[in-house]
Amino acid sequence: MAARTRLPLLFPKNLPPFRNQRLVQTEAAAKDPAYPPIVPSRTAKSKSALRRQVEEHVQKVRASPVEEKLALITRIQRQKFVVYPQTFARDADRWYQHFTKTAYIPGLPEKFTRGQEHTGGEEGSPPAAAQTTVPGIENDAFADIRSLISRVILQEHWYQKKRRPFLFREQEHMVGPLLRNLVSGLTYSLAKYNPLLPLCSLDVNPQVNFYWSRGQRIIPRGHRSGRLEPTRFQIDDHPHTQIRITQQLPEFAPLEASYDAEVPEITLAPNLMPMFRRQYDNNIFTGSKLPDPARYGHTQFHLVPDRYHRDRMARQQQSDQVEVFLRANGLASLFAWTGAQAMYQGFWNYEDVTRPFVSQAVITDGHFFSFFCYQLNTVALSVETDANNPRKNLLWGTESLRLYESVQDGEVVGLNDSVIKLLVQFLMNQP
Amino acid sequence: GSKRLFTSPLRYPLYQLGNPQLRIFRPNWFLTLVRPGKEQPPDTAQFRIPMEMTKCDVKNYLEKIYNVPVGAVRTRIQFGSNKKRNHLSQKVKQPDYKVAYVQLAQGQTFTFPDIFPEKDRTAAEGSVEEMQEKFLEDEKQKQKPDPRRGGVTEWFGL
Repeated sequence: MAARTRLPLLFPKNLPPFRNQRLVQTEAAAKDPAYPPIVPSRTAKSKSALRRQVEEHVQKVRASPVEEKLALITRIQRQKFVVYPQTFARDADRWYQHFTKTAYIPGLPEKFTRGQEHTGGEEGSPPAAAQTTVPGIENDAFADIRSLISRVILQEHWYQKKRRPFLFREQEHMVGPLLRNLVSGLTYSLAKYNPLLPLCSLDVNPQVNFYWSRGQRIIPRGHRSGRLEPTRFQIDDHPHTQIRITQQLPEFAPLEASYDAEVPEITLAPNLMPMFRRQYDNNIFTGSKLPDPARYGHTQFHLVPDRYHRDRMARQQQSDQVEVFLRANGLASLFAWTGAQAMYQGFWNYEDVTRPFVSQAVITDGHFFSFFCYQLNTVALSVETDANNPRKNLLWGTESLRLYESVQDGEVVGLNDSVIKLLVQFLMNQP
Repeated sequence: GSKRLFTSPLRYPLYQLGNPQLRIFRPNWFLTLVRPGKEQPPDTAQFRIPMEMTKCDVKNYLEKIYNVPVGAVRTRIQFGSNKKRNHLSQKVKQPDYKVAYVQLAQGQTFTFPDIFPEKDRTAAEGSVEEMQEKFLEDEKQKQKPDPRRGGVTEWFGL
């Protein structure tokens, strides 16, 4: 400093260098003025404020643990379309495919058709009566299962005398116990061949719920007219029985294979289907609460109620709707189940699944069995997340196959082996 | 017969097990096929039906008389407004009517045709209408501003 002219008594000969030039190069760069980040307001009546609120909500949900995530996603109650898996609506499967972004592939995935091809090739040499190519099951075990199934059928239709049930309760009385006994019998007998089954959880008449939103519409009238509203859906399903396991089943097809699949696009509103809106609690439930270790799904079994039985449909000249009904049922139930499983793992609309979730279903009315396999590749179905999402969910399904012809004189006539083989293969599915 | 059915109010006779099936011959009902106000799925046709008809009646009517395969029928009653008032301040009621949405079976589709297509209205050569149109066109052209000014109004400039 120039004002200081009196020097100290012991004036050093060599002054330290750069005494008056305080480290010129280094400090100026670090001393940038630090302003807070410029973001739009949170509470203003503007579109950017709304966007900021949405963004903050998304970040909040991302950062919270799974229970809080579910609670935050299903917190606000609004009018939503209730999707019934078993519906009387015509062409319901096309509509449901659009709502859940699912592509339908007729037939079963390669895992199950490989067995079918082998029997086709081996038909030539030995007789096909006791031949089975289900890997891991010997012929004796298969014969045991055959006798188990015929026992179960005879128990309900031959040994037990039943009175004529009340109106529209026939399926519940005749086929309900049959299916329950069948499922529990098969699970126990296959428990020694499938290591997952001893640790599985067999639910009887469980609840499966799922809540999601897809698409949007402009509100036509009211104090919110002109604004965009997302269309919300809720499925409340009650499968007859289901099997939940501790590990996840392997995928049927790679994720990338779903990019080319075709999903029907429907531009009309869902209430033309007809589908109705209600407002009540938004539930997401796989069949048990979050801390349950058996949190992945294996197989569901559904019963076709009297109202949709094929005889009644034939009387009303709607036989073509039978297959449509089965497909819609399989699609909606399995989508709800796999979606709920994914939500339980923390994947939601803005955090898409990293691995595909896979489940199977068998829908039956006592005589005819249809088999469905579902692979959930994406949960991001709302408008913002679906814009650049090439993934689609996949549903494989069969036509209905007859299990047995009839019951005569204490014998089951015409027991179909391929259907039994498919049932066994379904239950033997393991990673 | 059908006469007993249409005396007011309409009540079909109660069916009990063993009764003969109810049959209606030569019904006095007429359906009106209308253009839907809101867009409907391709397999749906919209009708205005008399109030006394039910869903089963519509289905049987279309199937038996017109051989149309019907999948499902849904009906609703549209309330006609009672709000307008005439020169005597009396309320004037527009009549109520029943609407039926019929979904066709066997994959058939139906779109309501265009009954009033646009026509090119060019007048015949040498006729009065042509001279009048030409005169009106010239008048309109005179009203337009000078194209050489390039859209600038007359307010500016000389």
